[in-house]
Amino acid sequence: MSGVIERNNVNVRGAGDRAIVFGHGFGCDQNMWRFVAPAFEKDFETVTFDQVGAGGSDLAAYDKSKYSSLSGYADDLVEIGRELELEDAIFVGHSVSGMIGVLAAQKAPGMFGKLVLVGPSARYIDDDGYVGGFSAAQIEELLRFLESNHMGWSTQMAPAIMGNPDRPELGEELTNSFCRTDPEIAKAFARVTFTSDNRKDLAGVAIPTLILQCKEDIIASLEVGEFVNRNIPGSRMIVLDATGHCPNLSAPKEVVAAMRTFV
Amino acid sequence: MAGPDFDDMIENAPCGYITLRADTRIEHVNRTFLAWSGHAADRMVGKRLSDFLTFPGRIYFETHIAPLLRMQGFFNEFAIDMLTAAGDPLQTIANAIERRDSDGNALGIRIALIKATDRRRYEMELLSAKDLAVTAEKATQELLRLENETSQFREQFIAVLGHDLRNPLASISAGARILDRTVQSEQEHRVTAMLQSTVIRMSAMIDNVLDFARGRLGGGITQQRDARRPLQPELEQVVDELRMGSPGREILADFAIDRPVNCDRTRVGQLLSNLLGNALTHGTSAQPVVVHAETHDGSFELWVANAGEPIPEVAMEKLFEPFFRGEARASRQGLGLGLYIASQIAKAHDGYLTVSSSPKETRFTFTMPSN
Repeated sequence: MSGVIERNNVNVRGAGDRAIVFGHGFGCDQNMWRFVAPAFEKDFETVTFDQVGAGGSDLAAYDKSKYSSLSGYADDLVEIGRELELEDAIFVGHSVSGMIGVLAAQKAPGMFGKLVLVGPSARYIDDDGYVGGFSAAQIEELLRFLESNHMGWSTQMAPAIMGNPDRPELGEELTNSFCRTDPEIAKAFARVTFTSDNRKDLAGVAIPTLILQCKEDIIASLEVGEFVNRNIPGSRMIVLDATGHCPNLSAPKEVVAAMRTFV
Repeated sequence: MAGPDFDDMIENAPCGYITLRADTRIEHVNRTFLAWSGHAADRMVGKRLSDFLTFPGRIYFETHIAPLLRMQGFFNEFAIDMLTAAGDPLQTIANAIERRDSDGNALGIRIALIKATDRRRYEMELLSAKDLAVTAEKATQELLRLENETSQFREQFIAVLGHDLRNPLASISAGARILDRTVQSEQEHRVTAMLQSTVIRMSAMIDNVLDFARGRLGGGITQQRDARRPLQPELEQVVDELRMGSPGREILADFAIDRPVNCDRTRVGQLLSNLLGNALTHGTSAQPVVVHAETHDGSFELWVANAGEPIPEVAMEKLFEPFFRGEARASRQGLGLGLYIASQIAKAHDGYLTVSSSPKETRFTFTMPSN
């Protein structure tokens, strides 16, 4: 078993009294923060990491049962925090990582002093008056479709990706590596992401929380963001001018500016 | 001659071609894609690309395609399902690039799409074939595991059974020996001799049953060959035992083993015991049973002959099959495994067992290579 730092491919940069931990969501890896995290390196210690199963994480550490719920991912985040001896840090979670942060903040009180949730959703599937934007049938359709996009993940490629993430001579081979995942793991992560229900966990958030909501986001709509904002005590929401689900890539300046008003 | 018509090259290219603005809204759609999808250009331009994607396509665009284009500037060979005007999925394989200004800001996206309905169907078939193979493999592994478990259980059962059956037999044999030393009358000696004879037959039967069970249910006939130790004493001991168990019967033994024989001595002894036991059971008591063993150049031969009724023609074919029993007094009936086991032992030594039977003599001959 590898250490936490290797397992989650944890990268610590910058310098400051407080740390900002950036968590990525379903799809890609910590590179999602490449236009945002550097902006904080002057004033904060920045921590980026890959969820187990994504990017440069240790695929051998992928445990089907542990990662069949967001709680397993939250446990990893807490372990990273303990390893880095984080106190009163800021957690910034994109997409599903938002809820992972919500869970981790409650598992380890004191570790995080502030939460920033970028495009969060407490539940993606519509449910008895609640609008999440998705139906259960659509989720199944998505899981089937993911099989069509193995992104060149063949048995021949897998060892090269897993064993040599830093070998430049494999550069061309590693095309798409930021978002390339073992198809089985991608499916499992998609399932846990889109079928999770964390509505009840919102009320337990006891630290200042900022929600960054895109104006137009088909994955986490304004309505979904407002639900999160309403249910986290004392939270604040900023609606970004950005569109899409990844303002950290499409509108990094706006994200950084909004975060600065909070951190 | 006029230069190429670039407008026509794009509009009627053999692929769909869509360009997006920086905000990922549709800027232009070529005629090829419009023809494939049945959409009108003015219904697409200005809309979000997502509006023309299937549900999974939309999620995939947001979580993979858009981020990758921002991070690496291109994304090739991805599957994306568009929607036709009728609402049906249009399966495509696409390449996309992001246009950027000198500061790296996105200016827009260009997407080339190739229809991939057949290819996708083929890929799905491959995937389900893989799933089937994985499922079948799992089932096979499970069967194998169960089979191994059962086989281990059988081995244990056979070992325990053999042990438990032999122990009381050893007690009977020891008891008969003690009695034989103290009894006086000829009749009493006959009784103890009969006891010993029964013990020998019983013990041979147990050996045969266990070997049969092992041979049929798993391991096969086991053998430990050793050419260095002499075979003759082993054979002599078998003959002595059966002599002791068959008082009043004459057994002529003639051994000429002058070369080493690479065999499992205990097994060859068992083979002889089975042949000799048969000869004593089925042969006439009026004439001796003859045992002969000799080594030739490169081979070893052992035969047992008796006089008496020949083996009927119909019986000859089935002689070496398990559970075949010839005519014999009920009290001397065996299990019908003796010849089967003998033939298996012969086979295990790369040798063979043959039979010839005439009114004059019935002879079983075992031949094997001696090295």
